[in-house]
Amino acid sequence: MSVSILSDAERKRIEGKRRRGKAFVAVTAVPVVLALLLVATLFFDVITDTVSWQIVEPSQTTASWSFSEGFAWGNTWENVVTKELEARGEDPAAVLNNPEERRRFKLRNRVELLWSLNGQPLRYVVSNSRDDTVDNIGVFEGFNNQEALLANLRDGQELRLNPWLDFAFLSKNASRSPLMAGIGFAFIGSLWVIGLVILFSLPIGVGAAIYLEEYAPDNRFTRFIELNIRNLAGVPSIVYGILGLYAFVRLFNFEVTVISAALTLSLLILPVVIIASREAIKAVPPSLREASYGLGASKWQTVSRVVLPNAVAGITTGMILAVARAIGETAPLLVVGAAGFIPRAPSGPLSEYTVMPIQIYAWVGENDPEFANVASAGIVVLLTVLLVLFGAAFYLRRRFERSW
Amino acid sequence: MSQTVPENHVTVRTDPVAQEDALVAIDHLSLWYDQFQALRDVSLTVPKNQVTALIGASGCGKSTLLRSINRMNDLVPSVRVEGKIHYEGAELYDASVDAVEVRRRIGMVFQKPNPFPKTVYENVAFGPRLHGYKGNMDELVEKSLKGAALWDEVQDKLNQSGLGLSGGQQQRLCIARAMATEPDVILMDEPTSALDPIATDRIEQLIHEIKKDFTVIIVTHNMQQAGRVSDRTAFMHLGVLIEEGPTDQIFTNPQHEMTENYISGRFG
Repeated sequence: MSVSILSDAERKRIEGKRRRGKAFVAVTAVPVVLALLLVATLFFDVITDTVSWQIVEPSQTTASWSFSEGFAWGNTWENVVTKELEARGEDPAAVLNNPEERRRFKLRNRVELLWSLNGQPLRYVVSNSRDDTVDNIGVFEGFNNQEALLANLRDGQELRLNPWLDFAFLSKNASRSPLMAGIGFAFIGSLWVIGLVILFSLPIGVGAAIYLEEYAPDNRFTRFIELNIRNLAGVPSIVYGILGLYAFVRLFNFEVTVISAALTLSLLILPVVIIASREAIKAVPPSLREASYGLGASKWQTVSRVVLPNAVAGITTGMILAVARAIGETAPLLVVGAAGFIPRAPSGPLSEYTVMPIQIYAWVGENDPEFANVASAGIVVLLTVLLVLFGAAFYLRRRFERSW
Repeated sequence: MSQTVPENHVTVRTDPVAQEDALVAIDHLSLWYDQFQALRDVSLTVPKNQVTALIGASGCGKSTLLRSINRMNDLVPSVRVEGKIHYEGAELYDASVDAVEVRRRIGMVFQKPNPFPKTVYENVAFGPRLHGYKGNMDELVEKSLKGAALWDEVQDKLNQSGLGLSGGQQQRLCIARAMATEPDVILMDEPTSALDPIATDRIEQLIHEIKKDFTVIIVTHNMQQAGRVSDRTAFMHLGVLIEEGPTDQIFTNPQHEMTENYISGRFG
């Protein structure tokens, strides 16, 4: 037994305290562990969904139709086939009522919309270049029942592991057939929107922060503005969508274009940018400002040569976190009319657009269960972009962090 | 022990500064922070190329007085000033005078070393760059660092961060930075209070050396320091300038009872 300098009663009391301390730590750790478990589950679920087993068979259709014209995109395959057969003077019922024919057409990838990439009109084709998917099976289910699945394969059928998330996924675009669907246009759309969001919100946000922090008189009006900026940061994003719909889409008549989405999202993140920039500016020690003023610097010289360079890490971090929020926003863009399908890549501020979360939302709403895999692949791309941004924020903070 | 100052106290002046030696003449200066009066009718003449020390207990207004000379107090929104400060024929608080110009001519060194988080070189070059200095910057930086007795220690580290220097070196860097704008007056607000005795000694030697080129006004808490570095000393209490005169006079033969009490360590 070790020698103690404390009496028994004192030691007991301290041990009791220590026990209570440990219990407290355990209680506070529960939500953290829970959160980590949930995140792990989410990632596991999403990532495993990006791979599935597919039973495929070689294409049975010999015909390769290139439907002339007259089908607006978004038509169902039944519409397309019916109209085309009628145009050819054949009876569509012969195809549509024959289960085997139906199955072939219904098999995914059969009736395909050809995207117009260089100004050609849109057209539907029946392609026979790919194998038909007969069934789509979850990755674990496929592993567990592999023998049974293999035994049940019909002639010519094959069981394949299909990785939905491959490099082609980044260059493929929205499609009604899951195998042809990719995040290409949505990725480009997100880049356009986010680029413009940064262009709008960085100068305005930092400018407002500089004004409020350095120039605004400390009066009731300024405090009112400050309070409201904080409140605006908490306004639900859909409200900004309605504002964007009214102001940018209708009033300024930008319609459903990249620029109205970018302006709406800029409004959404401006309060966050302003608050983060103000905090960064506030964190520049007064002693540095004094040093600058003491050397005969004017206010603007002090702000531009001392305050801003020393606040740049904080401003950048805040900006990245705000942009990360903007990249993931769906609700306001639904309101301002972002499309789930667009026929061509956005090419400028005034072009039609879709963005990654909208594209994922559109996929999730599809009937075809294979779109669940496509959506998962899209989510992984979106999360990767976010992780890269958070990593950049973390790196910048470490890189430019100053200790005074 | 706190002592009250009579309303109608008249500053005791020993051996007043002659008109032709004066560089800065503070003339009946009063200053308020909101309702609080920090300076009460202070008049003090600062002679050229000499070191003037401001001493007094905490809160006596000596830093406030120092900061009014280069109008640093303008940065505090609630400040109100009455009275005048004459400087080379101009009146610093005149509406036509820009505080930014005042600070170009009257530099300042602060209590805590506050180099910018830039290289040693950029720290010194900051002021000249602000004012569009056209000459040879390398020479000016070298001259200023030599003037602040720092050149030998940092000539190999000019491109390293000023924050990497020791506390005493940082403070001398700040002095070099102030000297680089070539002011007439350098104000020092307790420049050694954050430094160890050896660094303090170097700064004090430096003050001795630079007074041939600059007029120095130094606020200090440390009476021995005032005795060592200054030519003239002004003692303040509760915003009032109690007594001023040649340093040896103030320390050996104070005329006012409060000065004597303070110097002998009976309060403060």
